[in-house]
Amino acid sequence: MKIVRHTTWICALAILPMAGAAIVARADAGPSASAAELKSALAAAPTTSTLANGDPGGTITGTVNDVPVGDAKTGLTLGDVANQVGQNKIAVNFVWTLVTGFLVMFMQAGFAMVEAGLCRVKNANHTYMMNFFVYGCGLFAYWIIGFAIQMGGAAGNGNLGGLQSLNTEHLITLFGTHWGIFGECGMFLAGHTYDVGVMVIFLFEMVFMDTALTIVTGACAERWKFLAFAVSSVLMGAFTYPLYGNWAWGGGWLSQLGVNLGLGKGYCDFAGSGVVHAVGGITALAVAMIVGPRIGKYNRDGSSNAIIGHDISAVLIGCFILAFGWFGFNPGSTLGASAAGNLRIGSIAVNTMLAGCTGTFGAILYMWAMKGKPDASMSGNGLLAGLVAITAPSGFVSTMGAAIIGLVAGVLVCLSCAFVENYLKVDDPVGAISVHGTNGLWGVLSIGFFADGTSNYGGSWNGVTGSVTGLFYGDSSQLVAQIVGCATLVGFVFSFSFVLNWILDLIVGQRVSIETEVAGLDLPEMGQLGYPEFVFRPEPDYMQAAERMAVA
Amino acid sequence: MAATKSQGRNFALFMAGLTAVCAGIAFSDSGIAKVVLLVGAVVLAISLWGLFKIKPLEGKTGGGAQPAVMKLIGVAVVLGGWLFVLLGLHLAAGVGARMVTSIVGFAVSIAGIFFVLVPAVNKNAIWKA
Repeated sequence: MKIVRHTTWICALAILPMAGAAIVARADAGPSASAAELKSALAAAPTTSTLANGDPGGTITGTVNDVPVGDAKTGLTLGDVANQVGQNKIAVNFVWTLVTGFLVMFMQAGFAMVEAGLCRVKNANHTYMMNFFVYGCGLFAYWIIGFAIQMGGAAGNGNLGGLQSLNTEHLITLFGTHWGIFGECGMFLAGHTYDVGVMVIFLFEMVFMDTALTIVTGACAERWKFLAFAVSSVLMGAFTYPLYGNWAWGGGWLSQLGVNLGLGKGYCDFAGSGVVHAVGGITALAVAMIVGPRIGKYNRDGSSNAIIGHDISAVLIGCFILAFGWFGFNPGSTLGASAAGNLRIGSIAVNTMLAGCTGTFGAILYMWAMKGKPDASMSGNGLLAGLVAITAPSGFVSTMGAAIIGLVAGVLVCLSCAFVENYLKVDDPVGAISVHGTNGLWGVLSIGFFADGTSNYGGSWNGVTGSVTGLFYGDSSQLVAQIVGCATLVGFVFSFSFVLNWILDLIVGQRVSIETEVAGLDLPEMGQLGYPEFVFRPEPDYMQAAERMAVA
Repeated sequence: MAATKSQGRNFALFMAGLTAVCAGIAFSDSGIAKVVLLVGAVVLAISLWGLFKIKPLEGKTGGGAQPAVMKLIGVAVVLGGWLFVLLGLHLAAGVGARMVTSIVGFAVSIAGIFFVLVPAVNKNAIWKA
């Protein structure tokens, strides 16, 4: 036995120098071979005189000549090439994230058209102006403080170069576990956060935040005082949205449910069914409850009257603009197109299309079968409901899952609109509470059911190794994390928004006067009619006929 | 009365005050930041007072008074449901138990909205007048 042990030791000692020599030999051979390859590539590269002849086929533009050299004396090295590869990856991701962010920004136009189209002509200017000004209110509030609260502790995103300057998260310790509550750096994008990567993530997150804010304007249209809207939107962009955004996306406690309590991969919300849409929809519910229903919406016995919007063409075109912008919303949420599983963007885009399609089908078929007409405004809401619902799971589910999620959302939005209007008696002129609130919650929950465990964004999600997997694919703990997220949306976000806007109601007053409401908000609030050359008739015959025939 | 110059001025003050408060927090390392923070807080308070003062001038609104106590109870129930979810995560160990506590807490919050807050805000709704 002793002899065997000695022999083993001797063999091991003999192998070590041999292996070391082999490694050194490879290390020596590597650079020289690569240097030779670089040299030959440089020699084969087209000269300036060749390039001067033009490159119609695009075969000689973009060669080794275009790789920047770190030190002119040593010439092109492997390090220069590697640096260029790294910068190319980040550049691709920057461009992807920025362009998709621009698409999301354009959704503001879609929201404006949908909301204004569903309102009466006497309130068109006011509704458009709310959608216009919410962009400025939200952006400014987010720049001065909101972004810091949400993303101040979100360092570590490799897609955008690390974002290492966003490194301060305020933690509390409960039952021996640390939980992130809010970020602390990035106010005014000053100091260390004056950084190229931080600017990219700021733009992308900002347009998401603004989407959430503009949801509320729809639910409170036709009676919300412009001043109250402005103050409320600033506060939502500064505090309400960023807080929940931090908990889900900024390294906060919801995202840590997996690491700290073993609940799946923590709360997952790929592109914001919860963070953006449910926050917007639930805040819309809170504010609409405080503002109260429009004059004439409900009769004394509690039955409701349909108040028909003035421009269904604007509504449907607006829905298409939103569907177009959604290709920024969901695929853009990879925050990159290069590396870390980001090639899944194709799958995410297809899921987005499919859920929008089945959502439209769900709403049209439900309305047609149950009410007798394929109602146009509800069809538009069906499309949006499908898109809202697929926003959270788009990065984690198959096309089959996406189609089912969208279909359920399309039916759900019809049921929810009827419930909110007839049972809760909360007046929501555009159906924002149902489209964004109800279906935002459904989208969050659907991850817990349909996530198929095939996504791989760098091997882990929220710091937990593996792929996000739902109940139908074997992980019930993910569903618990999603329910906790929904409970937080309803329990915390609603309460916070309700109390904040209640206080605002006491100080500022949320609602316009009766005279203003009856006259229409355009002249008293905005000083200008939306359509000054229209002859305005308060109660035209065709409108009464439309109300009798209305199915919604 | 609708939109007025007073509203515009007070909103401008509100934005200026909020910006100054945030600047005071952001650059709290420097001595001047504390002064900016204080000035911002004062400006913010003045703007809110100004808005409160002009509120009665704006005429009667379409919404009736909502019972404050009932609304407070509603908010407490909604928040209570959420706190129950958080507590359940720490007190229950298994996935099944945590799922049950989360669903119960979620349901309590929903019930708080549907059965307490909605009746509260609709108690004196304009359509009942």
